[in-house]
Amino acid sequence: MSSLSAHVLDEIKELPGKYPQPRSAVMPALDLAQEELGYLTPEAMSEVAAALELDPGYVEGVATFYSLFHLQPVGKHRFYVCTNLSCTLRGANEIVDHLKKAIGVDDPNAVSSDGLFSYEEVECLGACEFAPMMRLDHRYHYDLTAEKIDQLIAERRSPHPPASPATSPASGEVSRPKRTRKKKDA
Amino acid sequence: MPELRGSHGDAPNHVLTRWFGTPDLHHLEVYESKTKGYSALRKAMLEMAPAEITGEVKTSGLRGRGGAGFATGTKWSFINRDAPGPKYVVVNADESEPGTSKDRYILENSPHLVVEGILIAAYAVGANQAWVYLRGEYDEPHRMLVEAIGEARAKGHIGPKPMGKDYPLDIRIYRGHGAYICGEETALLESLEGKRAQPRSRPPFPAVKGAWGRPTLLNNVETLATVPWIINNGGAAYAKFGTDKSPGTRLMSVSGNVRTPGVYEVELGQTFRHVIMELAGGPPEGRSLKVFWPGGSSAPVLPASMLDTKTDMESLAAVKSMGGSGGVIVMDDQHCIVRAAHRLLKFYAYESCGKCTPCRVGGDWAVRTYERILANEGSQVELDTLQRVSDGLQNGRCLCGLGDSAGWVIDSTIRHFREEYEDHALRHECNVGAVAVNA
Repeated sequence: MSSLSAHVLDEIKELPGKYPQPRSAVMPALDLAQEELGYLTPEAMSEVAAALELDPGYVEGVATFYSLFHLQPVGKHRFYVCTNLSCTLRGANEIVDHLKKAIGVDDPNAVSSDGLFSYEEVECLGACEFAPMMRLDHRYHYDLTAEKIDQLIAERRSPHPPASPATSPASGEVSRPKRTRKKKDA
Repeated sequence: MPELRGSHGDAPNHVLTRWFGTPDLHHLEVYESKTKGYSALRKAMLEMAPAEITGEVKTSGLRGRGGAGFATGTKWSFINRDAPGPKYVVVNADESEPGTSKDRYILENSPHLVVEGILIAAYAVGANQAWVYLRGEYDEPHRMLVEAIGEARAKGHIGPKPMGKDYPLDIRIYRGHGAYICGEETALLESLEGKRAQPRSRPPFPAVKGAWGRPTLLNNVETLATVPWIINNGGAAYAKFGTDKSPGTRLMSVSGNVRTPGVYEVELGQTFRHVIMELAGGPPEGRSLKVFWPGGSSAPVLPASMLDTKTDMESLAAVKSMGGSGGVIVMDDQHCIVRAAHRLLKFYAYESCGKCTPCRVGGDWAVRTYERILANEGSQVELDTLQRVSDGLQNGRCLCGLGDSAGWVIDSTIRHFREEYEDHALRHECNVGAVAVNA
């Protein structure tokens, strides 16, 4: 039994035809895998490799190179807080400290006990005029304060959080592992 | 519609941002009716020969706005338009130089301006397909660009016969996945081909062998967004802005310790005093400006005493810095230069792709040395080590400029703030105000 569902594997097999050369499909394919599973397991990378007729070591080499691919479980919502210079000069470190306490996680590889949240400090996100800022799932949030962080967390803890705007091919870091989600939804 | 923090509306030097702030500018209908959008594409395809288009861009003197500042028209002329087989335009939309947000500003405000520039470039160099390599984290620009491309396709500007001319044009998007190195053009090409983004050795240059082994024109978002104005108004009109060698205007994203951070359109040759103190409002009440990075974190720093330096590339080169990406990071007197440099070295060490050994190991050496100094374990040895590590990172020892940039942070901060380094390394004290950069 494969870890990726049949329709995702079918979709992955369609990808190479969209590019001048098939190898370009590797990252979009990993996106689809990550979207389904929440992160990239060795099995998933191996299945992606097989679907694209590539060496699994090659696929892992690509997955481990780029920071938007996750190789371990992430929260249903992930905070990417910029701590490069422009944001740090305007209080990004205090924002990170507050966030870590608020979600009860102090390691980028950990997930909050309710499975909802994880975080990482990231390099410049290219919205420096709004510093301090961060990306939460697939949206940027600007002029951060401790209160804004608290509010974003509260909205996502409530039973019916506002739907985030629809997004694209994306890197899929929004979803937590599929099995957990199924259990919760059941 | 995203909040606008920067230049928009009518002003004598607003070439790019003239129509920014117009409601629904991101929709084709508004872009066409209010701003004469796509008139440049029409003119280029119906009234001009490809060589004339390239000639007009040459006349404008436009230089690449991504960082290197290479002459755009010259770059276009490197593509052999008549060579058989596919050719590509690849748009570098992987904006990730620290302190730089101008391409995001353009894409969110006027995506059709970028689309139009891309189509003109593709037609001029003989390409039928363009690929926008868009930073993976740029969700909003992605939504805007997808919508704009869709509208342009529905209107026929993208498709088999744009403007009724039998010359198919297509634009596709490829999303990055988080790697600063992809801003480097050959690393970007590797990534576009589905590989780890490690720079290629040159030659061959992308104009000969670029994306998927084919002749490729690589341009930055801002560079291409400037092209429609040049086609509409003529290269000579553009060259009237700015200085002789750095003509035109450019977007400068001003961030850090200023009262009104924003993306400002600046005529090249205006001073940083104008940019930082007037446009961005200067440092907050009660603080004074200490230092600024004039062109992204990779541009060697300039102290407050050099605020009258001009923004054109030649003036910056004369003070051993560069215009780079146009990201101006401003730091006030409450912050410590050694901690700021340490933070940036952590960035360069993390983002090194690992292909060239001097960069792969040099960044970590620098970070460790900074950490000893900041832990009050420094001495003259650490100061000397920093200098030697910096030398090792620079001077063409690597395939791309990432290592050089790391070295420039070390060099330029020591050059202008030696006393502060000595306070830390030799006397184990920090004599800067209460708020320090917690790197």
